[in-house]
Amino acid sequence: MTAEAGRLLLAAVDAAAAAMGLAPGMPLADALSFVPGLATRPAEPESDRAALARLAEWCGRYSPWTAPDGAAGVKLEITGCAHLWGGEAALAADLSRRLARQGIAHRIAVADTLGAAWALAHFAAAEGAPALPAKIREAVAPLPVEALRLDPATAAGLRRVGLKRVGELFPMPRAALARRFGETVARRLDQLDGAAPEPLSPLGTAPTRRVRLSFAEPIADPASLAAAAERLAGDLVPWLAREGVGARRLDLGFHRVDGRVEHIRLGTARPSRDPAHLAKLLTARLDTVDPGLGVEDMILAAYAVEPLGPEQVEIRPQAGGGDLAPLADRLAAGLEPDALAVLRARESHLPERASATAPFGEGAPSAAAENAAKPPRPVRLFRPPEPIEAFWLLPDDPPFRFAWRRRRHLVAQADGPERVAEEWWQPGQDMHRAGLHHEGAIRDYYRVEDEEGRRFWLFRSGLPGHEAPPRWYVHGVFA
Amino acid sequence: MTNAVPLAVLRSRIRRIERPATAVSGVLPFGVAVLDRALPGGGLGLGALHEIMGEGGDEEDCAAAAGFAAGILARIGSGAVLWCLRRPDLYGPGLAAHGLDPARIVLVSAARDDRVLWALEEGLRAGRGAGLAAVVGEVGRLPMVAGRRLQLAAERAGVAALVLRRWRSGGEAAAERGRPSAAATRWRVSSRPSAAVAGEPGIGRPRWRVELLRCRGGRPAACEVEVADATGHVCLPAGLADRPAAAPRPAAGPLRRAG
Repeated sequence: MTAEAGRLLLAAVDAAAAAMGLAPGMPLADALSFVPGLATRPAEPESDRAALARLAEWCGRYSPWTAPDGAAGVKLEITGCAHLWGGEAALAADLSRRLARQGIAHRIAVADTLGAAWALAHFAAAEGAPALPAKIREAVAPLPVEALRLDPATAAGLRRVGLKRVGELFPMPRAALARRFGETVARRLDQLDGAAPEPLSPLGTAPTRRVRLSFAEPIADPASLAAAAERLAGDLVPWLAREGVGARRLDLGFHRVDGRVEHIRLGTARPSRDPAHLAKLLTARLDTVDPGLGVEDMILAAYAVEPLGPEQVEIRPQAGGGDLAPLADRLAAGLEPDALAVLRARESHLPERASATAPFGEGAPSAAAENAAKPPRPVRLFRPPEPIEAFWLLPDDPPFRFAWRRRRHLVAQADGPERVAEEWWQPGQDMHRAGLHHEGAIRDYYRVEDEEGRRFWLFRSGLPGHEAPPRWYVHGVFA
Repeated sequence: MTNAVPLAVLRSRIRRIERPATAVSGVLPFGVAVLDRALPGGGLGLGALHEIMGEGGDEEDCAAAAGFAAGILARIGSGAVLWCLRRPDLYGPGLAAHGLDPARIVLVSAARDDRVLWALEEGLRAGRGAGLAAVVGEVGRLPMVAGRRLQLAAERAGVAALVLRRWRSGGEAAAERGRPSAAATRWRVSSRPSAAVAGEPGIGRPRWRVELLRCRGGRPAACEVEVADATGHVCLPAGLADRPAAAPRPAAGPLRRAG
């Protein structure tokens, strides 16, 4: 039930309601007069969409290329996948059986083009009987013109001139159709028989390599899951070795019997195809996976791969130099994938850009840091800078007193100012988030020491004499 | 004076029986007599856990403690430093000023104290095999059991573990400050007013007050020093502003074996 233009309409009906003559789009008042005591629920398009996305993800057990389609459809590219199930018919039958077990009403069509599959699934296939036509044109010819995925106005336009079936459009010249009814009709017709390409945009990025393991009986105990993860890692490695690459990002999907998919996603510090190492990373994260009532499929996919020569495969700590990568992977797997970082120096006048964190393992060399000539810098830098309440006498003076984090500081000594101008050619980040006003693209830094001896790095944003009064911030603390 | 040598030999022998790993890993002297005399073996034990805290408002930021740690790390070999923290606000150029090359640091961000401690332990377990010279963690709470695990792991690996105690509120600081821990030493480092340099206005030579509050096998000590320089060395203040700026430093290599 949904509200539209002040009326309550039926958004969807179940099979029993449909049998009583109710249909989506019918006003609720009419529906109630047909069926007194009709049970209704408010429509939840958001959760419907989420459920559809989950279903599309679950379909990943059949093919890596899946995507939700419209409000109630899922599209699968099964080219090269069907033989794993013993043919397209067997695949469709398996899919149908599993959907029925989950209580999902469905219609399935398999065709050479997305357009044909869509048309057949929506207008020809019956519940539980997948449509697998041998000849597309013959199969779609008797279908109504709506099967061409047209908007209602175009479809109505076609019907008005007596074109009711898809087959009636085939003999007509495409150019005339395009002139009369718009490009869409001609394009949809071409897409139907494959004359025009129609790429499927999948749910995520397609993995480079994936390996799958199905279980006759759903498994749920951690030991079996760990064993399966190890076996998958072992299965994936020969693929990687054959192509001379190592995995940088892995995704282990657990397809549960209830149709949900749980994931372990992780990255490695550097390309790896050591099965023991990969298995260790995966099993270390197993406790984050809820197997529910059981897992029936596990799919391990390598998303990002990088060249890895055969001599590099062995990742073992050597006696002398030491190798951080295994430790880094263990830490990233136990914490967050982006938990590790390095400090990278860059050429910039802005303090927050001059040294920033960069993801660990992306080995771009950092710019040579020449700190000798630079004035002192704090050991801790606050991102964003923290505003303070400051009191000063002359426009160019540092504050003689300021309050920060509910503490008052009397300034005993001060150095400065050091003027830093915002790099106008770079889009601002930190500063704008901190609410610094933009005309204050100029910052004057002071190093101040309070009576206790603590040393702070303060700056004034904005020029004195401007209409907006300058504001003060503490950007860091010195050791 | 005559039995000073046999006594030292005996002491080191007892230490070796009690804590074989510490004796094997060596010590790192500060080059400041007050501190080195108070520490067993004449320096900071390398295969051990050390606690460093700030004072007053700096208990929240641990800025002085981080600078002090940077000075120590600068003098421990040249390997990588695993620095695990909850709030990644370390600033490379500032650490470089105290001798620690920022390129050596691998930052590890964790959401909770116990995850920081876990990362530290993993780091110690990988130890020198992973090319680590030391591990550093910033935590509010350091439970006794976790501390003991870290101490044992540090001993086994022969890698120094520094824990900066960083408290988010005065209440947390008050509750944790006096609590015993399994660390070999506990330090408190606070910023002190700088000494004016003659003829130059503004902030002079910045200083720390370094207090060795607790030390297993040693005794407490405290002194005021000039902050760690670009080689990681702290030194006693020259005393008077017109004295030569450079204080004498130990000429020998920074590492000395104990026992």
